[in-house]
Amino acid sequence: MESRIRVLLLTTALAVLAGLSGCASVRNWFHRSGSDTSASGDNPDQNAPPRVIEPEVARRTITVPRIHSSNLELGLSYGALSIEDFGTHPSYGVMAAYHVTEDFFFQGEVGRSKAGLTSFEVLSNINLLTESERRFTYYDLSLGYNFLPGEAFIGRNFAMTSAFYILGGIGGTDFAGDTKFTVNFGAGYRVVPVDWLAVHVQVQDHVFQSSILGATKLTNNLEALIGTTVFF
Amino acid sequence: MIWRARQCALASFLLLAALLTPAVSGAREYLQLFVTEPYLELHTGPGRGYPVFHVVPRDGSVDVLFRRTDWFKVRTEHGVEGWVSQGDLQKTVLADGSAFHFDLGDRAGFTSHHFEMGIFAGAYGGASYVSAYGSVSFNSQLALEGAVGQFLGRYSNGVTGDIGLIHIILPEARWSPFLTIGLGEVHTEPKATLVQTSDRNEPTAYVGGGIRFYLTRRFFLRAEYKAHYIFTTRNQNEEADEWKAGFAFFF
Repeated sequence: MESRIRVLLLTTALAVLAGLSGCASVRNWFHRSGSDTSASGDNPDQNAPPRVIEPEVARRTITVPRIHSSNLELGLSYGALSIEDFGTHPSYGVMAAYHVTEDFFFQGEVGRSKAGLTSFEVLSNINLLTESERRFTYYDLSLGYNFLPGEAFIGRNFAMTSAFYILGGIGGTDFAGDTKFTVNFGAGYRVVPVDWLAVHVQVQDHVFQSSILGATKLTNNLEALIGTTVFF
Repeated sequence: MIWRARQCALASFLLLAALLTPAVSGAREYLQLFVTEPYLELHTGPGRGYPVFHVVPRDGSVDVLFRRTDWFKVRTEHGVEGWVSQGDLQKTVLADGSAFHFDLGDRAGFTSHHFEMGIFAGAYGGASYVSAYGSVSFNSQLALEGAVGQFLGRYSNGVTGDIGLIHIILPEARWSPFLTIGLGEVHTEPKATLVQTSDRNEPTAYVGGGIRFYLTRRFFLRAEYKAHYIFTTRNQNEEADEWKAGFAFFF
C-alpha cells in the first residue's frame, strides 16, 4: 500500500517537473523515453530545428602597428681634401648610407673641393687650368664593414654606440676638364649619441689615373672629413 | 659664394633634422609583444657583442619602437629601453597569443622579396663602368628594374640609364640565373681633344642575362652581361657590350 502511494506521488512529481519549461535536464529524460509529446504538446515550435543565436557584435578588425625600419642614414660632411700636386683645400659633401646588417652597409658620397696652384704654376706664373677646371667633384659608391663595434662613454651616465669601420668602393671624379674612374678606400669612426643621429670622422683616399702634368700616373687624393647624419 | 653655399647647406641640414626628429621620437602607437620564453634579453646596442643589461620575465610585455638591421629597439612596461635580437623577438607572441611574424633576412627572403639594390663595377663598350640598380619584384620570378651607370673611357665618357624586366629562372637556387630585356638612353661625351664631335643622347635597347649568388643574410653577388643596341641618327646603329659584377641586397 505504502509503496503504491510512493509510486503515485513520484509519478505526479515527475509530471509537474516535466511541465516546467526551464528544466531542460528533466525534459530531456522524457525526450529520450519517447513520452515527450504528451508532456509538452502545447508548444507549436517543437518540431522546428533548434534556433542558432546570431551574435550581434561586429567583429573588430585588429591592425598590428607597423614596425618602423630605421636603416637609412643621410647627412652632410665637411673636411679637407688634399689633391695631389694641387694642395689641400676645404671640401664639403653629402653622404648617404644604408645599413644592411649590423656588420655591413652601403655608402654613397658626393663631394666637392677646389684645387689650388701647383708649385710649377706658382714659380712660372702660368695657369695650367681654368677656374672651372679647378673644381674637384667626386662621387663614390662603397661597401662598408663595421670593424670594431663598441660603446663610447661620456662621464658616468652617458653611453653612445660606436663603430670603427672600413670601406672601399668605386666612383668617378670630375677634375681638370675630364671625368676619371676612381677607386676609393678608407676608414672611419661613427658614434651614435641618440638613435636618430650619427657623427662620423672619416679618412678616405680617392685614387685615379691622371695625366694633367704630362706623364700619366696614379694620383692619391686623401680626404679627412667630419660628417653628421640623420637616421630615418 | 662658397660661404653662401655652406650656409645654405647648413640651413637645409638643420631643417631636415628638425623635420625628422618628431618622426623618430614622437608619440605613436607601437606594436606590443609578450614574452613566452623564460625571459627576454635586452642589449645595450644593436649588435651581438653589446652586453645584456636587463631581462623581461615570461608574460611581461615590450613595445617595439623601431628596427635597425636585424635588431629591434624595445621599451618595457617599466620604461626601460634596450635592443632585442631578431632571433629572440621571433619567440614572442602578439596580444591574442598568435606568433609574431616579420621579414627575416635569410635564404627564403632571397627567393621572395619586394626590393633589391646593388652596386657594380665593370666595362661598357671597353670603358670602365660604375653602375647601381634598384628593382621592384612582382613575384619571385619577375621584377621591374632600373639601372644608372657612368662609363669613363679613353675616347669618351658618358652616362647610361636603363629600365627593363628581369626574369629569374630558378629563384630558389643559390646560384640563380636570370634573363633581362629593356630600353634605355645613353648620353655620350666624346673627349674633345681627340674627336671633334658634340655630346649626344641616344635611345638604346638591351637584352642580357646573368647570375645571382646568395652570400649570407641579405647579401648576394650578381654578375651580368647586357648587349646594348644604340639607335643613332647616323647611317649605322651601334652596339655596346656591358659586363659587370657587384654586390646587392634585398629588403
